[in-house]
Amino acid sequence: MAAPELAQTDPEGIEGVRMTWLNWPRSKVEASKCVIPIAASIQPIRPHVDLQILPYTPLRCKTCSAVLNPFCRVDFTALIWICPFCFQRNHFPHHYSSISQTNLPAELYPNFPSVEYLIPNYQNPQNFNPAVTSSPIYLFVLDTCMIEEELEFAKSALKRAIGMLPENAMVGFVSYGTQVQVHELGFSEMSKVYVFRGSKDISKDQVLEQLGLAVQGSRRAGPGMQKSGGGPSPVAGAGAGPNTGINRFLLPASECEYTLNSLLDELVTDQWPIAPGNRALRCTGVALSVATGLLGASTAGTGARMIALVGGPCTEGPGSIVSKDLSDPVRSHKDLDKDAAPFFKKAVHFYDELGKQLVSQGHVLDVFASALDQVGIAEMKVAIEKTGGLVVLAESFGHSVFKDSFKRIFEVGEQSLGLAFNGTLEVNCSKDIKVQGIIGPCTSLEKKGPAVASTVIGQGNTTAWKMCGLDKSSCLTVFFDVSSSEKSDPAGPSPQLYIQFLTSYQSSDGQMRLRVTTVTRRWVVGSEDLVQGFDQEVAAVVMARLASYKMEMEEGFDATRWLDRNLIRLCSKFGEYRKDDPASFTLNSCFSLFPQFMFNLRRSQFVQVFNNSPDETAYFRILLNRETISNAVVMIQPSLISYAFNSLPAPALLDVQSIAADRILLLDSYFSVVIFHGMTIAQWRNMGYQNQPEHQGFAMLLQAPQEDSQLIIRDRFPVPRLVVCDQHGSQARFLLAKLNPSATYSNAQEMMHTGSDVIFTDDVSLQVFIDHLQRLAVQAS
Amino acid sequence: MSTPRGPRPGAFPPNYNPDTLAGNLQNLRINQSNWQQSNNAGVSGAPRTSNALPFGQQPPPFAAGQSRPPPPGVFQRVPAPPVAPGQSTLRPDVMPARPTGPTPVSQPPPFASRPPPPGVLPSSIGGSAAPPYSAIAPRPGLSGSPTPPQMSSNGPAGIGPPAFAPRMMQSGSRPPPPMGNAPRLSVGPVQSPTMLSSQASSQPLQTRPGFGSPPAVSSSVGQPGPPFSTFPQGPMFSGSSNMPPPPGSLSFPPAHQGTVQSWPQQPPQVGPSHPTPGAMQQQQRIFGMPPGPPPFPNQSMALGQTVLSQADPNHIPRYSSSSAVILYETRTDNRANPPPPTTSTYIVKDNGNCSPRYMRCTLNQVPCTVDLLSTSAMQLALLVQPLALPHPSEEPIHVVDFGESGPVRCSRCKGYINPFVKFIDQGRRFICNLCGFTDETPREYHCNMGSDGRRTDADERPELCRGTVEFIASKEYMLRDPMPAVFFFLVDVSMHAIHSGATAAACSAISQVIPDLPEGPRTMVGIATFDSSIHFYNLKRAMQQPLMLIVPDVQDVYTPLESDVVVQLSECRQHLEILLDCIPRMFENNRTTDSAFGAAAKAAFLAMKNTGGKLLVFQSILPSTGMGSLSAREAEGRSNMSDGEKEPHKLLQPVDKTLKTMAIEFAEYQVCVDLFITTQTYVDIASLSVVPRTTGGQVYYYYPFSALSDLAKLSNDLRWNVTRPQGFEAVMRVRCSQGIQVQEYSGNFCKRIPTDVDLPAIDCDKTIMVSLKHDDKLQEESECAFQCALLYTTVYGQRRIRVSTLSLPCTNMLTSLFIAADLDTQFSCILKHAADEMPSAPLAQVRDKATNVCINILHSYSKFCATRSSSGLLMMPEALKFLPLYTLALLKSNGLRSDGRIDDRSFWLNYVSPLPTPFVIPLVYPRMIAIHDLEAKELEDSIIPAIIPLSVKYISDEGIYLLENGVDCLIYIGTSVEQNVLTQIFGISSVEEISNQFILEQYDNQLSKKLNAILNEIRRERCSYLRLKFCKNGDSSGTMFLSNMVEDHMPSGAAYTDFVAYIHNQIQKKMT
Repeated sequence: MAAPELAQTDPEGIEGVRMTWLNWPRSKVEASKCVIPIAASIQPIRPHVDLQILPYTPLRCKTCSAVLNPFCRVDFTALIWICPFCFQRNHFPHHYSSISQTNLPAELYPNFPSVEYLIPNYQNPQNFNPAVTSSPIYLFVLDTCMIEEELEFAKSALKRAIGMLPENAMVGFVSYGTQVQVHELGFSEMSKVYVFRGSKDISKDQVLEQLGLAVQGSRRAGPGMQKSGGGPSPVAGAGAGPNTGINRFLLPASECEYTLNSLLDELVTDQWPIAPGNRALRCTGVALSVATGLLGASTAGTGARMIALVGGPCTEGPGSIVSKDLSDPVRSHKDLDKDAAPFFKKAVHFYDELGKQLVSQGHVLDVFASALDQVGIAEMKVAIEKTGGLVVLAESFGHSVFKDSFKRIFEVGEQSLGLAFNGTLEVNCSKDIKVQGIIGPCTSLEKKGPAVASTVIGQGNTTAWKMCGLDKSSCLTVFFDVSSSEKSDPAGPSPQLYIQFLTSYQSSDGQMRLRVTTVTRRWVVGSEDLVQGFDQEVAAVVMARLASYKMEMEEGFDATRWLDRNLIRLCSKFGEYRKDDPASFTLNSCFSLFPQFMFNLRRSQFVQVFNNSPDETAYFRILLNRETISNAVVMIQPSLISYAFNSLPAPALLDVQSIAADRILLLDSYFSVVIFHGMTIAQWRNMGYQNQPEHQGFAMLLQAPQEDSQLIIRDRFPVPRLVVCDQHGSQARFLLAKLNPSATYSNAQEMMHTGSDVIFTDDVSLQVFIDHLQRLAVQAS
Repeated sequence: MSTPRGPRPGAFPPNYNPDTLAGNLQNLRINQSNWQQSNNAGVSGAPRTSNALPFGQQPPPFAAGQSRPPPPGVFQRVPAPPVAPGQSTLRPDVMPARPTGPTPVSQPPPFASRPPPPGVLPSSIGGSAAPPYSAIAPRPGLSGSPTPPQMSSNGPAGIGPPAFAPRMMQSGSRPPPPMGNAPRLSVGPVQSPTMLSSQASSQPLQTRPGFGSPPAVSSSVGQPGPPFSTFPQGPMFSGSSNMPPPPGSLSFPPAHQGTVQSWPQQPPQVGPSHPTPGAMQQQQRIFGMPPGPPPFPNQSMALGQTVLSQADPNHIPRYSSSSAVILYETRTDNRANPPPPTTSTYIVKDNGNCSPRYMRCTLNQVPCTVDLLSTSAMQLALLVQPLALPHPSEEPIHVVDFGESGPVRCSRCKGYINPFVKFIDQGRRFICNLCGFTDETPREYHCNMGSDGRRTDADERPELCRGTVEFIASKEYMLRDPMPAVFFFLVDVSMHAIHSGATAAACSAISQVIPDLPEGPRTMVGIATFDSSIHFYNLKRAMQQPLMLIVPDVQDVYTPLESDVVVQLSECRQHLEILLDCIPRMFENNRTTDSAFGAAAKAAFLAMKNTGGKLLVFQSILPSTGMGSLSAREAEGRSNMSDGEKEPHKLLQPVDKTLKTMAIEFAEYQVCVDLFITTQTYVDIASLSVVPRTTGGQVYYYYPFSALSDLAKLSNDLRWNVTRPQGFEAVMRVRCSQGIQVQEYSGNFCKRIPTDVDLPAIDCDKTIMVSLKHDDKLQEESECAFQCALLYTTVYGQRRIRVSTLSLPCTNMLTSLFIAADLDTQFSCILKHAADEMPSAPLAQVRDKATNVCINILHSYSKFCATRSSSGLLMMPEALKFLPLYTLALLKSNGLRSDGRIDDRSFWLNYVSPLPTPFVIPLVYPRMIAIHDLEAKELEDSIIPAIIPLSVKYISDEGIYLLENGVDCLIYIGTSVEQNVLTQIFGISSVEEISNQFILEQYDNQLSKKLNAILNEIRRERCSYLRLKFCKNGDSSGTMFLSNMVEDHMPSGAAYTDFVAYIHNQIQKKMT
């Protein structure tokens, strides 16, 4: 853990971009020899203290529409700038006439590779209505098929959330169980609810028509309607203008808070009877579909989040993931593997369509699932990821994992997640660079161009992506390909390559912004430069993301073998060794941690999926794909800090040997934070020494990991699960599962230290893994 | 009317013997001449004394003749009751018989006059009254006088007179005094008409020739006339203010009318004028028809026969009313008594056969063979009204509980035990009177036989001595626990409904009816509103206001909640009231013009599917969206004349099967739909009505709806709808004796299997017509039984089986058949058949068919039964003498007129379908009375004044007239009504101030109070809060009123006289 990179406080810098290779191999062949793909991890709207906000529209290149940036060559006398991507010469417009070497606009400052434009009227590529400064919409979708206690938790969380919303935020509410209930908040006479049947798929048009939101005069009719030909003017519909009706359902928080609160007070658990031995009839699919339709009536381009609180699996209507019969268990990985999950494909298809619908509307789906059983995140994942939605998986709506996470999304100020809407990412890159695609929370906009690679990874076939929802920690992995052939002369027109990321989005306060980040890297030939530019953290994360992606996409993909093979190839290529002499093997420090990352990745929940439910796996992967590199690294290889008397808290080896009776360990595996008390510490604590004045030091020792864990928890979203346990306690497994099993029952004798522990596993230890790796790496291929 | 005669038959009883019939018949044939004589005699029965056969009609004679008859009649009647109970039905029969038609009048007086009886009579006719009478000689006489003939001539007269004479005298000595007194005078004339009719009727009585004439006469319709007339006449009534039961009954005989009218009008005039209607008479003369002639022919008629000379309006039978109460015993001497006219007020004593209210047959004797039936051209059918309202004085239906084992039934045909089951083998076994199978008597039900061949416990067991009993259903009759009483209200809130005030009216009506819903935890209610979507309301909420749940998908509906949409009334009363108050306001600005009736009904159905129940829908416009939506076919038809004209009757058919399918599903889950249509436009009732029709509900139609004037009717209709006696989840089956079987049921119900009728709900106003057919010959001396069993759940959640059994004698004689014909029932069948055919056949065809039925029947009679047919005279069986009039009225009714709005016609067809027999005749031949001169009339015993024939001749410009047909009530205000009268009645000074939306109020003056009292009485009789409309001469409302003058010539049909002439012509053509 003590790698120099980690010590670096801000590896992303103002750019928010990290690449697997700092320097790029010049040719496709070389690139492929690098084993680790050329990829950039970008955080499109990462905040930075030095970030300049420019209150004007950017200048764009006439041909490639790249934005003026510090890497442009500028002729101050001719008032001309040359685009680094297409080399087009562009004239500065009149209002730039006063620029000079000493009077540069901010976007030309070399130390500002990222700048942000504040645009009142930005036309984004999808031609969304420009006049959008409307306030964001929060549409809550609440499952009511739960026990009363859970529902109470969910309700109180909702109430708190509503209280936290900005006054101008538009709020809507949909509850569902066996049927979907859309609450008309703007109806003053009494509580009014539109009820949709849970078993029937319903299109957006139908939703709008049935809610009375259809555009006037347009096809009002379903199949049976033609008959009414001679009826009294069928045209005379309701409402004045198109979509004004939406105000019946979506109201400013300040206006509907009281209504919503009383509505929630009266809301009871779903009353439809549940046959004995059956699951509750829960129509999550239709509920989301209806909510989507409802949002579809809002003004196009308005940012909207659909926040679903789900308490169990969908069993009714489209999007069902399991039968109603309780004797059929919810699908497991094994079922998926054996194709024995009859609902899976249909449900995935349904949610995929739902996702597309949401993307076309520019709206986000967030899912907060709290249940002991699975709720179908695996199926919904596609819709959540495509819209850039948030997902939190917890065991109960009363659990802090849910409660605190849920609260976080409504917080403002420093704790704010910086949730933004309607993001669009465009990539411009130098000639010879192709974009294969993106893994992360976005959707391809299918914008074709010369920079589109033929092979696709993730969301590809495009140089533009839609991110309906994004936040300051959102992270995307862009995969590049180098297309130049060996021939293109190495000197080239330029030794530098340029990539420009253009992210337009609607910030949480409703402003339209455009973040322009332009990066430059160097073309290199020969492995030496490559080695020096290797970012092993990024590489580990990219490999993890890619492996996960392949596991999902490729039938029968064996992730362990794939990782092993790549690792061996990497070591063969970049290690220094004598052939067939494992002992001679050494790795450059730039690679030193990578094998260990791979070792932990192989043992992680991302690869060893069978230890988890498909929902959990989907959840982990969603987060792996959207979190920052440093967080993702923690997911792959948790950090361990040891607290002991007479020493400062220090990182400890992620090894069973770090366990000691007189230590406290703090494990951060991202999804959970474990405070582990050594046996002796636990005994002392149980005897209450910490309460005695003379043992103040002990009290402080106990306190320290608690405080540190709170630091971690406070900054993290979703809030991790905090586990406080003692050595040999049942909860200790949360720690043991993550440790390198250097001491197992097989070598317990020899490894016996005082106070340490053993792990009962057949897994190989890191040492054994490395030994094998060295042996294989040095073998002639 | 004919019915009364029936009784006569009863009168036969004295004769008991089936022979009597035969005998009579034979006699008839044989002695036609004699008969005639006798008839004549009989007719003039009374007359005999006076000998004035001719009189019949002539006033003078009457007086004399009548005077006599009356007494006899009276006596007999009186005595009869007493007798009735046990043995000789005869008397009783007689009694009732007389009362029936005109008699009522007469009778009442008698009672009244006689101090003792009056009180008694009302309460327990038979019992209390009986004693005194019984004491009277009559019985003995009667019983003793088996020989009809004698009786006829003297018997009645003799018997009666002696005993009564004194009394009569005392009371008012009708006979003599009448003449003297002015009132009597009036009577006189009346009588004369009656005489005519009576003669006819009496003849029918033929029963006992003997009786026939005298007693029979009196009893028989025709005769009743005389007796009544005598009594009724001024003196009687005035004197007998006691008359307990308000004379509500209408007596058909035209004579009566005459009588009735006569009173009000100046007797003198009448007297001279003549027979029939006092008023009429004068005019009649004008017509020039010799009053004299007709009578003669009549007289000649052996059987009750009415002879008409075509052109003589005076003698054309006319509908009239009498206000007397008839006491009717269903059987006497183990023979069925023909029931009184449906429109009369009668009190039934059930002693074996069920009350005619529950079931009556078109023929009171069953033809033994198909041939006989087809020769007669009449039809054999039952009109069943299983939950009909009894008269308050009638004995309540006995409820019998057989415990776990359930009622005793035939093991083969599953018929229920009834008084006609024959126990044999010391009671160990019994023979089913329906299928003839011999069953073991269940051990616990065994009982020894008495010497009379009856079980000794027969009189203690209602099921063995009553025609109608109710069994408590045992578990095997329940597929589930009896359903709760569920009322679901569905209210249209589309823009038109809101603007027209229909929504507010519906809500207010519902809100008023809530307190009237049955108390207790079994009563559940629900409410929903709809426009282009459906709005349910969750009323079961602890908090604040109700929750509105909208079902927007009107193509494929569902219920928004599994529970809580239909809630116990006790739990939601408050919410419901708030909600009802709130709805009109809430939708005040609703701009949705569409209405999803079908979808809303379906959704409501789904909400109540678990229990079933009543779904009350308030609909204001043509359903234009959602499943089962309709189009304005009527308009389309108009714009596309060629299509429209080709088959306009198609517009009377439902447009497609959607609603029918839906309705069948409703019925399956015991959901009954009642439809309240409050509209101002075309709503395609033809299509909509399928739902109520199939589910045992009904359509209420308010067109053009006016929130102002229709509110009261709406509330009252709704109240009656939910409070009237009714049952849920019912199944009905009619079983017949071997040889007859049910051919078809028709009415408002759902039929899934051919033998049963499924009724999600049934109430006291629903009648089902059961067409019968022969599948074998019947034995002449046997009786044919009909049993209607209705399994239902009461409002209070008890499962019961109501079993009504009717056993009628079989006959091989065509003449008997005509005598035993029940005009009201026959005509109901004709009307209902016509209504059934309307949607599927061109109008002209239906009209022709109805006319032909009339012609064929009369033709058959003329050909085979009439004693003598002189050309120029139309022979009619007494029982059916009004057939031409009613047929004509039918042709001019809303349904069979070609000029009516489609919706009006559809509604009419629909209204007619379950219409109880007593309401059928008023529907086509409305009752008209004058109300401007109420003050002048002293009608203490009858609230409703005399009926005026439906012709403009009787309408004066100074008058105000009220006309009602059970649905609408038109008040016609002449152009030159005295301002004083206007002010008193309407509180206005000139006719111009009356608008369509005018509301009748009660003012503090006699006239106004009387008018309101009359209205209320009519409403009570009709079980309907009539729709009041004001008509002024000269505008469309006046035209509408005049279109009810069915005796006049109008586009939809000829004048009465012309029509009779036409019929006559047709018959003559056929004869030759």
